Amino acid sequence: MTIAVCIKWVNYSGPVESDTPDERFAGFSFADQAALEWALRIAENSSDEVLVLTAGPEGAEAVLRDALSRGAHRALRIDIDLTNDSAVIARSLVGAMSQPRMVWCGDYSNDRGSGSVPSFIAAELNIDQALGLVALDLPESANASFTAVRRLDGGRREQLLISGSAVLSVEGSTARLRRASLKNTMSASKQEVQVITATGDRVETPALRPYRPRPRVTLAPVGLTALERVKHITDTSSSKGHGETVHAEASAAATLILESLRKWGYLP
Amino acid sequence: MTDADIIVVGAGPAGSCAAIAAARSGKRVVLIERGPFPGSKNMYGGVIYPRILDELIPHWFETAPIQRWVVRRSTMVLSDTGALNIDYRSNAWGQAPYNGATAYRPDFDNWISQQAVAAGADLICSTTVTGLLRDDQGRVCGVTTDRPDGNLTASVVIACDGVNSFLAKQAGLYPNADADNYTLGVKETLSLSKHIIDERFGVRDNQGVDIEILGGTSGVNGGGFIYTNLDTIAVGVVLKLSKLSAQKKRPEDIIAELKRHPAIAPLVEGGQVVEYSAHLIPEAGLEMMPKMVADGLLIAGDAAALCLAAGIWLEGVNFAMASGMYAGQSASAAIDAGNVSAASLKSYTNRLNETFVLQDHKKLRKIPHLVLSDRVQHKYPAFVTGVVERMFRVDNPTPKPGVRRIVREERKKAGIKLSELVRDALTGLKGFG
Repeated sequence: MTIAVCIKWVNYSGPVESDTPDERFAGFSFADQAALEWALRIAENSSDEVLVLTAGPEGAEAVLRDALSRGAHRALRIDIDLTNDSAVIARSLVGAMSQPRMVWCGDYSNDRGSGSVPSFIAAELNIDQALGLVALDLPESANASFTAVRRLDGGRREQLLISGSAVLSVEGSTARLRRASLKNTMSASKQEVQVITATGDRVETPALRPYRPRPRVTLAPVGLTALERVKHITDTSSSKGHGETVHAEASAAATLILESLRKWGYLP
Repeated sequence: MTDADIIVVGAGPAGSCAAIAAARSGKRVVLIERGPFPGSKNMYGGVIYPRILDELIPHWFETAPIQRWVVRRSTMVLSDTGALNIDYRSNAWGQAPYNGATAYRPDFDNWISQQAVAAGADLICSTTVTGLLRDDQGRVCGVTTDRPDGNLTASVVIACDGVNSFLAKQAGLYPNADADNYTLGVKETLSLSKHIIDERFGVRDNQGVDIEILGGTSGVNGGGFIYTNLDTIAVGVVLKLSKLSAQKKRPEDIIAELKRHPAIAPLVEGGQVVEYSAHLIPEAGLEMMPKMVADGLLIAGDAAALCLAAGIWLEGVNFAMASGMYAGQSASAAIDAGNVSAASLKSYTNRLNETFVLQDHKKLRKIPHLVLSDRVQHKYPAFVTGVVERMFRVDNPTPKPGVRRIVREERKKAGIKLSELVRDALTGLKGFG
């Protein structure tokens, strides 16, 4: 089976802006490097082949050769206009994969992209996705399920059980990419990189807009002066404080808390 | 069977030229570079004299990434407030076959390393050579690197690993490395529009200027420089390491002081610092050169201290390229002869001796120390500018004092004995003459 690793080649020229980006500074993100490392670790315990893919011009083959030198078995470049949107890029990548067992991606790219390609890949392949992973617990056995921790908004974490085919995107901190051996580095420069030319058939996506919560109706503050209105809004000088110290047994205290929450309208 | 015929360590001008020469003679060459790409550190800020490339890369000037061709060379002597500027211009230097040029080393080194790749050398970047491999008879037979499984064997190793050559030291070829033989080159790259640079320095199109400065280094022995690139200028100082350390001065403060000098300020005004870098320079020439040949090992470029710092002649890249080229040729010839012992590889030093590489150094062997001596550094600038200031100052109704009187009085004022002046003049004449 194939484990695919999608890395984004970015012609990143550092903090100095340039009209003519210099491919010598191009590379792939730490997140993509971590994705490659996880794929290599899994392949070490199995007979899986690691296929590394990127979309970009001929210069992008440098990162593929870098991946080959670190242990990837095969490299494939999609020759496609990078101004295409993520859905098109994802479709072109999937078209070159042929039913992979897993697809590993980085959670972010060096050019601060949208990070949406992994989702589109999952949709194209019609398999599960586990995105934004910050920790993984790989099993000894190659095909066993394993747990991963995913970052949620507000500092929360979600633990996922991953079994079967899935698209996974990882943060750069999850793994450090191994250093290529000297022999592999030398041989990678001569290894073949397969090239597929893809056309940019546009994918129609529904119009998207940022999440906006419904407005909440708030009554106008009451008061003749501005000070009174401010006091009304902020509840300053109000005697109906919500704070209260009680001494009670645990069960009684819990009952009291629930009563208070109902009274203040936090519970039905 | 070795992994390669020749390993070249360092893809600077010396290393790439060694790789080109060796690869063209049909050898399997591995060129190992520590940085992510050749020239990734843009430390250098000088003028390159690439005519030596005529032999190695015909019509090099058609493809080399040159910023400006130097058509004006100035030597400036600074006192605290005055400046004597000797300026020469030749527009012929702006046409083939050219003379000197300014270039960004990340571009130049990358370009020349690609010539090596085109010649058949394998370029391996992001790989640091950590040591020498030796066979059971103690002969160098390869290198160790910082990569896993990182040993590489070869018939000959050419060390072009720069001024602080760990390989040359490890091979015992630098028995007496002395900090007094090194200077610290410190450079600011200032962004200015091409139009402003053209106007301020009196040049057009891709014509460039090279200004070498004596004095203006805040009392630390050394010198200054300004070079024009297309839309930046490099301004900096070269400071004797031992003096800089003893005087506890900061190099960036010394550059700032130089930029404030009334003769320099109008040239650099408005320039935005886009880069700051520093680098050691092997300044003492022949006095500090190591043995350049051992069994299976050659040393070239800055690693062999092949940098000419002789006042009006400040050259390094051409010496590096030439020595690299000769090292590559000698290594190939030794392999063809089936003998890579030091005796067989000695053809390398023979070649250096026959050419400008060591002939210039021998001729000018006393000049680096003379230029960096306390007298030349601290007394002569005041003396020379004092003489010129009085020669051109009109003090009517006082009649003109006469040049001999001015020279005598200014010499005494600067604290220079006549015998010292004569001795230094003779040393200079002998060296430069």
